[in-house]
Amino acid sequence: MATTETNILNRLYFVAGCMFVFALAVVFKLCTIQFIDGDKYRAMAQKRSIKPFDIPANRGNVYSADGSLLATSIPKYNVGIDAVTSSEKNFKKYIKPLCDSLSVFTGKSSGSIEQKIKKARNTKDQYLLLLRNLSYSEFIRVRSFPLFELGSIRGGFVYDQTTKREHPMGGIAERSIGYERKDENGYYTRVGIDGAFGKDYLRGENGRRLKQRIGKGEWKPIRDANEIEPKNGLDIYTTIDVNIQDIAHHSLLGQLEKYEAEHGCVVVMDVKTGEIKAISNLGRNKNGKYYERLNYAVGESHEPGSTFKVMAMMAALEDKVIDTSTVVDTKNGRKMFYGRPINDSGAGHGKISAAKALEVSSNIGLATIIDDNYKSNPEKFLKRLRAWRLDKTLGVSIIGEGEPVIPKPGDKIWSRNALPSMAYGYNMQLTPLQTLAFYNAIANNGQLIKPRFLRAVKEFDREEEVFGKEVLVNKLCSDETLAKIKDILKNIVVRGTGERLYSETFSMAGKTGTARTDYANYEEWRKDRKYVSSFAGYFPVENPKYSCIVVIHKPSTEVGYYGADVSGPVFKRIAQKIYTDTPLIDEIQSVEYENSVVIQDFEKFNLVSNTYKTIMPDLIGMPAMDAIAFLENMEVDVKVKLNGSGVIKSQSISKNIKLKSNQTIVLEAS
Amino acid sequence: MIASAHSADKKVFEISRLSNEVKELRSAFVDGRSKLMRLKMESTIVKKVKEKGLEISTNPPKKIKIKAQE
Repeated sequence: MATTETNILNRLYFVAGCMFVFALAVVFKLCTIQFIDGDKYRAMAQKRSIKPFDIPANRGNVYSADGSLLATSIPKYNVGIDAVTSSEKNFKKYIKPLCDSLSVFTGKSSGSIEQKIKKARNTKDQYLLLLRNLSYSEFIRVRSFPLFELGSIRGGFVYDQTTKREHPMGGIAERSIGYERKDENGYYTRVGIDGAFGKDYLRGENGRRLKQRIGKGEWKPIRDANEIEPKNGLDIYTTIDVNIQDIAHHSLLGQLEKYEAEHGCVVVMDVKTGEIKAISNLGRNKNGKYYERLNYAVGESHEPGSTFKVMAMMAALEDKVIDTSTVVDTKNGRKMFYGRPINDSGAGHGKISAAKALEVSSNIGLATIIDDNYKSNPEKFLKRLRAWRLDKTLGVSIIGEGEPVIPKPGDKIWSRNALPSMAYGYNMQLTPLQTLAFYNAIANNGQLIKPRFLRAVKEFDREEEVFGKEVLVNKLCSDETLAKIKDILKNIVVRGTGERLYSETFSMAGKTGTARTDYANYEEWRKDRKYVSSFAGYFPVENPKYSCIVVIHKPSTEVGYYGADVSGPVFKRIAQKIYTDTPLIDEIQSVEYENSVVIQDFEKFNLVSNTYKTIMPDLIGMPAMDAIAFLENMEVDVKVKLNGSGVIKSQSISKNIKLKSNQTIVLEAS
Repeated sequence: MIASAHSADKKVFEISRLSNEVKELRSAFVDGRSKLMRLKMESTIVKKVKEKGLEISTNPPKKIKIKAQE
């Protein structure tokens, strides 16, 4: 083919055209990247070097009333080893001593640890977790172990740090102090005080700030200010008294162990303010050990048994349907009510006064009083209970308060037997805290106060919020009724069912309770009898300071099950502790008075003893006792012979003569 | 410009080192505090002094307050 000009031009056009199309394609792509997908790519670019960081807010602390830490957040460490990074020489040299140290630390055998690490080295494992949840001091110790002390690159020491909620008191009151946990779905598990006040006070708010990568795994904030400033959680001061809590915990634990009970709780409340001073809940695990499992005191409604007799009696007294001296026939320990027998423990008490019926905790006595007087109008009795708020929860801050059950006519559990059963605390339910609040009201001259756990919320030392007492019912009953009930409660400990708890040195008042539980199948129950033993009351009798309830579930009947034996001692121990902790103050008038003669004598004596060290002074006119004391304290050893007593009349050596050692001085006194 | 960027970077490293130190000291503090709290609890003390024959008094301490005479 001949090479013509057109031919060349055509080729040129073709090539130029192709290049033009290519250029267009490039421009098109550029525009797409820049304008159409631009935002996407810009965001992507930013993500790789700029990242928003959460700034976690510090969770507030939980303190006791006296400022001891009950819950706080601290860092914990997990320690592992990078088995690959250390040199062959170092690894060989230190592996044995490292495993020995770890063996001492963990109690595992050195050989098995060595095997594990060697295996990790063979499989090129860069992170073998060795120890979990170390405290700081443990972490420091581990960091100084052979090989680890070489650091992360040469020694393969790897650790990560997490924040854990710690309870410095350990297992004591753990459940009531509580915690708050957030799961992956953002749902919070909220337990105890920590949980109840987490949202409002402790949690705080996380902040956020943008950071740019700058190497070494570090990120640098882009702007001076945070996008969102973190707000640290506030500290909360609870009403818990560490000393009372300690005693309550340990005496409850002791009784639970002694009686091999299933679980139990104790709550101590300040009579005047409603502050909970101590709350302990212990349950048995599979191994027979006790620990804080559930908040029984707040959450567990159960049939209160005899501790409720006080409420029943108080209703009858307040309605003036009986008086403390009204005689009730308790028969010989067994009486039929609408075809169902009610029994008293023992052989019965015969005809006794209403007050006595409560003192000896007669089921028949109370059932008779209530049934006789209210069977025609049960609503009257129930209205009382409702006015005392016994059918409502107290509304305490800890989440999960148990619902009380007070049946009324028309309810499923209502029958003709319901009324006599309620008289001695069956066929109804209350939580220990609700019962305690009622007893506290008796001690507090009839004023029902809401039990509370919180004293103040603080940010550093600044008080954000202070909590005072909350009155639920201003006056439960007349002073007259109150005095009668208080008298009976006192006598229960002096001569009633609580007699064994009586102490001469300090006073307490309260009611025992021994209730059957899990008796739905009576035949089963007969074979393996289960009880709830309780004791509720207050101390001291005159001018009560604290009220307290102890409830112990299912003690071993072989050891004992009466409220006075099982629960009473815990109550007594706490009462005694508080009694021995409060000094008795004796005020006396000062016997010192200024006597010019004495002062004169004293000054004269001082003057003489300061000037005369080796020379005989003039002792005439000085009291004999002073003269002897003075001569014996001189710098020379002299012997003193005293004739008579009183004031010195003459001295065998006249004044200003230098004394020699072992010289005898004769003093005449009259 | 470059110099101040670097000095800012340096400060970031310094801050992270110091905040780690704060965490560690805090942890040490709580550690010590827990130990102290357990040690000073009455039940622990009672156990410890039992060997020495000491017990909790059944009577409260007596405080004598003297009123000065005018």
